[in-house]
Amino acid sequence: MRAADLTPVARDVMKLPAGPGLIFASLVGAYLFNSLPWGGWALLARPDLVLVVLVFWAMHQPGSVGQGLAFALGLAMDVGDSMLLGQHALAYVIVTYGAQVLRVRVLSFPILEQTLHVLGLFIGASAVIVLLNLLLGASFPGPAAALSPALAALAWGPLTWLLYLPGLRRMRRESAA
Amino acid sequence: MIHEPPPFFHRGPSPLARLTFFALLAIATMIADHRFGALEAVRLSLSVLVAPLQQVAGAPAIAFSRLADYFASQDRLMRENSELKAKLLDYAAEAQRARLLQAEQDHFLAMTPSRSRFATDGVLAEVLSHGRNPFVRKLVLDKGLTQGIKAGMPVIDGEGVVGQVTAVGTFTSEVTLLTEKDQSVPVMLPRNGLRAIAVGSGKDGSIDVPFMPVSADIQNGDLFVTSGIDGTYPAGLVVARVTAVEKNTTYVFAKITARPAAGVDNHRFVRILTAQRPSPAPAEARAEERRPAKDRPAPRGRRQP
Repeated sequence: MRAADLTPVARDVMKLPAGPGLIFASLVGAYLFNSLPWGGWALLARPDLVLVVLVFWAMHQPGSVGQGLAFALGLAMDVGDSMLLGQHALAYVIVTYGAQVLRVRVLSFPILEQTLHVLGLFIGASAVIVLLNLLLGASFPGPAAALSPALAALAWGPLTWLLYLPGLRRMRRESAA
Repeated sequence: MIHEPPPFFHRGPSPLARLTFFALLAIATMIADHRFGALEAVRLSLSVLVAPLQQVAGAPAIAFSRLADYFASQDRLMRENSELKAKLLDYAAEAQRARLLQAEQDHFLAMTPSRSRFATDGVLAEVLSHGRNPFVRKLVLDKGLTQGIKAGMPVIDGEGVVGQVTAVGTFTSEVTLLTEKDQSVPVMLPRNGLRAIAVGSGKDGSIDVPFMPVSADIQNGDLFVTSGIDGTYPAGLVVARVTAVEKNTTYVFAKITARPAAGVDNHRFVRILTAQRPSPAPAEARAEERRPAKDRPAPRGRRQP
């Protein structure tokens, strides 16, 4: 075990479960981000924040976010992006499974190593979607598609910090009281 | 005695069992959607839930473009105005000729049971966004089921055919562009009446005309218009101009590339042609033909993922 594992942030905040309000709000926010009017190669390189937030909660809050929610979110993404129904659902469910299996291992690392782990998961999700579309006869999307999982992994650190904040504030309030 | 874990360790099925279940469900969903198109109701009801979020996300960009329009320079507006007037004069002559032809056609139609193959009715629609599917380029329009839009309707702009409505929501509809892979339009050359099928190539916005013999009379600069024989696109809409003809006698077919006449990428308003071709005349009217009355052919555009 390394010293970084025992930082107070990682140990204490998540003892307080995040409320359903925070989970819902973060997912809606991520969906809004994904729904921005992206176009051209920016669309290919768009980091899938819904997936990042989903993996975050599947790791930190495995009791309340699981594969059922992943499936539903995937359907919502398919409708929003007007793709074949079920392809985001399949990718999200597979990645959520990966997050559930790797959960304990990943969370024992500091943020940088966590980022590398989730990068693998995000690349898996992109690969599933690209492969499905190639099967359906689309042409290869090009190198910009490789940016998407990389940008999503880069968002992992800031997002972890952001989603810890409400818990931190609550903790300070309680320790002050 | 079998030892069971205490009840507070019960978590339902294992993650792997859940994965199997949900992955199979996702694959079943894809098959149902792709092969049978059976999930339109699910898509429609989900899109009602999702639409407000999308509107919120798209609002800043739309507001910005409206603002930019508002402050558009006087100079540009005047230039645009004079261009439009020149175009109007161009079209006026054609319109007068068309009126004469229409009158003649009406006269002939009064004598024959068949009906018009030319488009008349249409709905003006604003382009809300370019769709967000990176694999298939689409336009999202602001007219939907409530305005009577149906999948399969052709969409044109001032210059020619843009594409075809392939999915309809309550208030929006999606247009798959002519240049997309596997989007095909039956066309003809007005110059010599040659019939062909134009197929989107899916890359760099060009259109292929496959399966034309090397001896076919097609030249650079030829203009393809819809032939109207498929029952989806009305006849006479401009589709594309030939940009390259490669006739290599070692191959059976010539390689013909064309550019769409419509500004497939750069328009704000388009017209959805709502007049569907009438079904063939009732069976008794064609009793002498001894063939079963066939339904109108299905829309050509295969709905893409």
